[in-house]
Amino acid sequence: MKHSPRALAVGAVLVLPVIVGFAYALLGATDVFGGFGQPAGAARLQRVLSEPAVWRGTVWALWVATMSTTLAAVLAVALSLAYAGTSRTDRLARALMNVPLAFPHIVAATVGLLILGQSGMLARMFMFSGVIASAAQMPELVADRFGIGVILTLVWKEAPFLLLINAAILGGHGAGYKEVARTHGASRWQVLQRVTWPLLWRGLSPALVAVAAFSFGSYETMVLLAPSNPLALPLLTAERYVDPALAGRNDAFVLALLGIVIGLIAVALHENIRARVDDTSHA
Amino acid sequence: MGVLVSLQRKIARVNMRLLASMFLVSLSVMTFDACGRAPRPIANADELRAMSWTELQASSRGQTVTMRMWRGDPSINAFLDNWVAPRVASEFGITLRAVEGQGPEIVNALMLERNANANGTADLVWINGETFSNLRQANLLLGPWADRVPNAALLDSASPIIMRDFEQELSGFELPWGTVQAALIYDSARTPTPPQTFDELSRWIHDHPGRFTHDQAFTGITFLKELMYALNGGVSQFQGGFSEATYTRSSAKVWQWLDDVRGDFWRGGRTYPSGVAELHRLFANGEVDFTMSNNQNEVITKVRQGILPKSSRALVLQDGTIANAHYLGIPSSAPHAAAAMVVANFLLSAEAQYEKLRPEVWADGTVLSVQRLTPEWQTRFNALAAESNAIPRDTLAKYARPEVAPEYHERLNADWRARIRDVVAR
Repeated sequence: MKHSPRALAVGAVLVLPVIVGFAYALLGATDVFGGFGQPAGAARLQRVLSEPAVWRGTVWALWVATMSTTLAAVLAVALSLAYAGTSRTDRLARALMNVPLAFPHIVAATVGLLILGQSGMLARMFMFSGVIASAAQMPELVADRFGIGVILTLVWKEAPFLLLINAAILGGHGAGYKEVARTHGASRWQVLQRVTWPLLWRGLSPALVAVAAFSFGSYETMVLLAPSNPLALPLLTAERYVDPALAGRNDAFVLALLGIVIGLIAVALHENIRARVDDTSHA
Repeated sequence: MGVLVSLQRKIARVNMRLLASMFLVSLSVMTFDACGRAPRPIANADELRAMSWTELQASSRGQTVTMRMWRGDPSINAFLDNWVAPRVASEFGITLRAVEGQGPEIVNALMLERNANANGTADLVWINGETFSNLRQANLLLGPWADRVPNAALLDSASPIIMRDFEQELSGFELPWGTVQAALIYDSARTPTPPQTFDELSRWIHDHPGRFTHDQAFTGITFLKELMYALNGGVSQFQGGFSEATYTRSSAKVWQWLDDVRGDFWRGGRTYPSGVAELHRLFANGEVDFTMSNNQNEVITKVRQGILPKSSRALVLQDGTIANAHYLGIPSSAPHAAAAMVVANFLLSAEAQYEKLRPEVWADGTVLSVQRLTPEWQTRFNALAAESNAIPRDTLAKYARPEVAPEYHERLNADWRARIRDVVAR
C-alpha cells in the first residue's frame, strides 16, 4: 500500500502521451489550431466522418486486425500445445519459432512483397514449374482487396509474440497445475479443458487485444502491402496529413481520433467481457 | 477493511484529479500556442539586406546550416553530403547538415514550430509549387533574399519555367536550384515502338491490358495534369490563375479518358502503386511496361545504379510534358539565415550546378544560362548535353509545358483520389 502513490505517478507519466495526443488530435480536429480557411468547430469532424472512404478504410483495417489476430492466436495456441514438451527437439522448435520476432515490421512487409507479389518468388516458382503461364495469372496476394498479404505478414510477425506469452503461461505455474491435475487422475482432455485452456485464455486475452490494436494501426505493413482502394485507416491518416492542399491537412487529426477511439473501445470491450466471465466463473 | 476501501477511494480521487489537471495543462498549453504568436525572428529580411555580401559571409563562418530536403534518393544525398558539404566547410567554414523533410512535411514542421513558439530547426528548405504556395500563404518564408545572392546574376532569367513557380512570382522568397521535365520510361527491348501521343497511349493500353499504370503521388498527378492539357487544347487554356469553370470542364475529359482505359490498367485500375519507387519496382520486375519520372534524366541515373534494365529509355509524349523548377527557400524562423544564403549561393555556382547535372551524380537540369558563364564552363556544360542516351535538349524544349496554378494540382489530386476510393461504393 505504501508504494501506491508512486506507482500511480509512474502510471500517470506513462499515460500522459496518450492524453496529450488525444487532446492535440481533438484540437486539430476541431480547427482550434492549424486550420486554414476552414470554419472552426465540429464542421470538420462532421465532414470527415461522413465520408464513405473513411468508413471503408476503417472497416478494412478492422477486418485485417481481426483476421490476423485470430489466425495468429489459433496458430500460436496450436503450436504451443503441440510442442510444449521438454525434449530437445521441442525446445529447439520453440526457439526457431521465435525468430520472426527479431525482424522489424517494415522488413517483414518487404519480405512479404518479395515472396507474395505477382513478380515475387512464389509467382516465379509457379511459373518455373508451369503452374501459371504469366505473372498476371498469379492470384493477387499483395495490394489485394482482402488484404491477404498484410494478414499473412502480420500473422508471421504476431504468432511468435503470442507463442512467447503462451510459453510463459504454460511454463510457469501452469506446469505445476497440470502436474497436480494429472496426479489426481485427470485425463489429458480434462487437463486441457480444466487447466490449460482457462490458464491460456486468461493470460493470452490482453495480448490479443494489444496485437489487434497494433495490427489495426500497422502503417508500415500496410504501406507496402495494402491496396489503394479501400485505403486503410492508417494510410488514409498519413495521406491526409501531407495533403497538398493545406486546408485538408487537419483531417488527419479527425482520423487519428477515430483510431484512438476504436482502440479504446477494443480495450473496454475486453475488460467488460473478462469481468463478466470472471463473475460467472466465481458464482 | 473499511480503512482500506476509503484509502483506495482517496488514491483513485487523487489519481483522477492528477489526470484531469494534466489534461487541462496540456489543453491550455496548446490553446495558448494556437493563438499563433509570431516566431522569434533570428535575422529578419531587413537586417540581412542591411549587410553587405562580405559581411554576410563573415558572419556565417562557424555556423551550421540545417537543410530540410527529400532524402529518398541515395545519389542526391551523396551529392549533398559528400560533395557540397565538404566544399562549404572548407571554403566558407559552414557545416551543412541535410535532414529529411519534403513538401508537406516541411510545411507541417514549420507550422508546428510556430505553434509551439519554438526555435527554428531549418535554415534552408528544398521546395516548389504547392509547398511554396502553402509556405507563402502561412507566412513561413523569409524574404525577399534570393535577389541578393551574387550567383543569381547567372540565372536563366528569360525562362518562364525557372522564373515562375506554378505561375507564382518568386518575389525573392525562393531561389531557383534545378529544373526537370517529366517523362515516361519504357524498356526499348520490350516495347520497341512506344506510343508517342496520349491517343496512341490509350490504344496501346487497350492492346496490352494490365501493363500500364501510374502512381498515386506527385508524379502520377503530374501525368494526369499533362493529360488534362492534352485533352483540352494545351496549357494555354489553364494559364492566368485557377478557374473553377475551366477545371470542371477539363477534368471531366480526364475522368472520361481514364474511365475508358482504366479497365485495362494494371490490376484493372482497382489499385495503384503508392509512389514512383513502387512503380519503378513493378517496371523492373516486368509487371508493367512503363514507369515515369518528373526528371527526364532519372532513367540514366537509375540504369547506372542497376535499378532499371539497361535498355530503359525516357519518352516525352508529343502532346507535351510538364517541365518545372525546384527552389531553395529560407524559413522565417531560420536560426542561421545568413549562412543559408551563402550555401544557396554556392549551390547556384557553375561548379555545383555542373556537378549536379552529371548523369552519374544526379542529372538534375541547370537553372543557369550557359551563355552567361565563362567559356571554359560553357564547353563543359555543352559536352554534358551531348550525352548519348539523354533526350536531346531541343526535343525537350519543344515539348516542355509549364506548370499552372497549384490549385489545379490540388484539385486533380483530391478528385482523383475521391474517384478511385469510391469505385466500389458507386
